[in-house]
Amino acid sequence: MEIKKTAIAGTLESSDIQLTISRADSGITIDLQSDVKKVFGDQIEAVIKETLKSLDVTAAKVKAVDKGALDCVIKARTVAAVQRAAETTDTPAWEVL
Amino acid sequence: MQQIDTTLGMYNEQGSLIATGSVAGNVLKYVGVCNKFSTQGSHFNSIVSALMNLLAQRGIFHLFVFTKVKYSASFQHVGFHELAQTDLGAILETGDTDVNDYVRRVEKVATERRLLPAKRVGAIVMNANPFTLGHRYLVEQAAQENELVYVFVVSDDVSLFTTAERLALVKQGTQDLKNVVVVTGDQYMVSYVTFPAYFLPTADEAIQFQTTLDARLFRDQIAPALQIQTRYLGSEPISRTTGIYNQVLQAELPPSVDVKVISRLTHGDQVITATRVRQAIAENQAASVLDWLPANTADFIQQNLATLQARIQKGMNINGN
Repeated sequence: MEIKKTAIAGTLESSDIQLTISRADSGITIDLQSDVKKVFGDQIEAVIKETLKSLDVTAAKVKAVDKGALDCVIKARTVAAVQRAAETTDTPAWEVL
Repeated sequence: MQQIDTTLGMYNEQGSLIATGSVAGNVLKYVGVCNKFSTQGSHFNSIVSALMNLLAQRGIFHLFVFTKVKYSASFQHVGFHELAQTDLGAILETGDTDVNDYVRRVEKVATERRLLPAKRVGAIVMNANPFTLGHRYLVEQAAQENELVYVFVVSDDVSLFTTAERLALVKQGTQDLKNVVVVTGDQYMVSYVTFPAYFLPTADEAIQFQTTLDARLFRDQIAPALQIQTRYLGSEPISRTTGIYNQVLQAELPPSVDVKVISRLTHGDQVITATRVRQAIAENQAASVLDWLPANTADFIQQNLATLQARIQKGMNINGN
């Protein structure tokens, strides 16, 4: 899926994660901010990367502000942000979840 | 100009207001939160989320906030990055692009022109409303003393000459100077975000604060990333705001960045100033200032005189900067 514009999903509330996805020329870059980055940073980034991969996103710039989200939340927010950014919200990719 | 676009209020079950925040363009303003019956920070995070989602719906993803120093950490905690601070306040940004992206874009222009790497790099920030022989003289001085000169043109579109017009006139007017790179200052230099007083009548104290933030942002974010060693200023005999700005730059930039003040170019016994050029346009006396202008600016004014005068009649302020 091609990222066409910037999109945001999620909130900054406790147990959530706010994801901003925007265009990039190539590759995935993730700028993660989290109070639990030391312990869970790699895991959070891995979930975002896997979800992007399953959505066939190969180029994107991701800014993530985590407030202690569980993996399922991270996944859901990533899917929502990508679909908004790729302008495919009319055809939700349910199978990815 | 920068009035509030939208204000949000958050209420609890009892109907009491527990948080509020506003937006003006891409700037968050007047965020206030009551922490009486909640975990520290939770209402703050909710209201900032709501404001960000509101702006996202409008297609705005790059945000700034001006806040007291003691609240800077709260904004950093929700993903904002501090650009500069003084005792009175801090400026932060967040979103899909940031000052690092801006610096890379500027660098790319210099690289494409094969001007990098350069040992001596100078910079000038100008509104150029419009570009005069005075501006040209300042650029020439800097170009002689440096291998590379960045000319940052103020990017807010609130002047008599539009941003596109000002940028084009500066580019055309410096085309023959091979080591000069003309780019917009984006929201990082003399912008409505950092320095509203440049465009609006303001008390000295506020000008002092805003110019200090602007100077520190340049000193700490822009200059080191682009290896700028010297900032060039035109001496300022007329404008109070620019006069204070020059003083603050001289106090804040060294020793990290040298400041060189170049005396204004004079024509006969008059100093060349864009303010006078705008007045001449308003008074239908454009012919009297043509000697002050490079050929391209003079041509532009003559060809677009009616349009420019119509803008002034519609209420465009020409006495600011």
